[in-house]
Amino acid sequence: MDGPRQRILEATYACVARWGLSKTTVEDAAREAGLSRATVYRYFPGGRDELIDAVVSWQYLLFFVRLYEEVHGATSLEEVLERGLGFARRSLVEHEVLQKVLETEPDVLMPKLTVESKRTVGLIAGFLVPYLHEHGLAPGVEVHEAADFLARMILSYISSPGHWDLADPEQVATLVRTELLAGVVGDLKPAVP
Amino acid sequence: MRHLAQYCLIVGVARLELVRGAGADARTPERVERALPVRVRVIDGALACIARQGMAKTTLDDVAREARCSRATVYRAFPGGKDAVLHAVVDTEVSRFFSALAVSMGGAGDLEDVLVAGMTEAATRVTEHRALQYLLAYEPEPVLSQLAFTRMDEVLAVTCAFTTPFLGRWLDQPESRRVAEWAARIVISYLVCPAEGVHLTDAGQVRRLVRLFVLPGIRALREPNGVVHSARAAGGRRRATRSVHSNPSTSTTKGEAS
Repeated sequence: MDGPRQRILEATYACVARWGLSKTTVEDAAREAGLSRATVYRYFPGGRDELIDAVVSWQYLLFFVRLYEEVHGATSLEEVLERGLGFARRSLVEHEVLQKVLETEPDVLMPKLTVESKRTVGLIAGFLVPYLHEHGLAPGVEVHEAADFLARMILSYISSPGHWDLADPEQVATLVRTELLAGVVGDLKPAVP
Repeated sequence: MRHLAQYCLIVGVARLELVRGAGADARTPERVERALPVRVRVIDGALACIARQGMAKTTLDDVAREARCSRATVYRAFPGGKDAVLHAVVDTEVSRFFSALAVSMGGAGDLEDVLVAGMTEAATRVTEHRALQYLLAYEPEPVLSQLAFTRMDEVLAVTCAFTTPFLGRWLDQPESRRVAEWAARIVISYLVCPAEGVHLTDAGQVRRLVRLFVLPGIRALREPNGVVHSARAAGGRRRATRSVHSNPSTSTTKGEAS
């Protein structure tokens, strides 16, 4: 969709990158997009609040689209998780706009991200289900329960890795084979053959 | 303590018995209330106000009324005003939360039990905390902003530092640290983003999570490349010293490090 809606979102994102979430106004977005205020309101009747929410949702979704593109060719569950965790963490750390907003306006951004993450747990879980079926589960583990657990753990490690260094492939391999998969699947191959 | 400040809002508890002491039951509520120091009455008054109307709308007059003292008395106890009261509320609630966690984890008899006790207690304290629940519903910003990215890393570090020693009876220190952080991560995840039908206030459900996902993960942490070999599992079963709640699939980790 390359219509006015997309143009407005991109313009708003440019404003947020410059001024932050709180200071971006409908006027700023309209000027940046080269459209009138009335046009912006036609696409976002809720005005500034709706616009800001839409930009956060759009960028959030974009992040997971890229993550999906990174991992969907993987041939095993371990590979999906290893590539996904490394890529996702790197993308977050290198995301300048996200880091700037987190630094200056965490109280504005965090509740919006929490709303998004509730949806994302379901999306990630749905993506993992076929891989779990393919790999086979440990006795007594139900597939949707396992997918939900993995999805929320993945979101947690990406956002706050704690003592894990996700830039280190060896640590990522260990994390995947212990806290993520050890209980979920029955058998695992060694990380390094 | 500064980094703990808002964290307390996340983990606090409204029950007073841990702070008031064991003798409180014998007295009438009225007399207990008057016997409490002004500071404690103000803190609990502020908690009641927050549970009813949130932080933004609560004034020092509200707090004074709730604490049954004058505004001047509140200022004498807290010269810093509302901010000082809120910080004291946070510190108090953090200490109450960790006190409760210590009581429940300290009494556990094996690794599975200590994990179940700690995770269930933490989830219950948060879920039953009326002030915190009000904030999550109507003023979520100060709470949620602590629960992701680098600020959650700090929350994990604090929780991990406190709970690690409780795992020391069954795990060596690096393992304890990993597992403490992991358990905190799981609890926070389900509290911030509840799953349909999963309630960590239910010890039975927590036990299922611990048996299915956490204990196998701990076993795997001890193996090169995180791979569990069946021979090892058999050895663990032979050496297991306790199996009160265990079924064949979980008994191996329990008592393994004893």
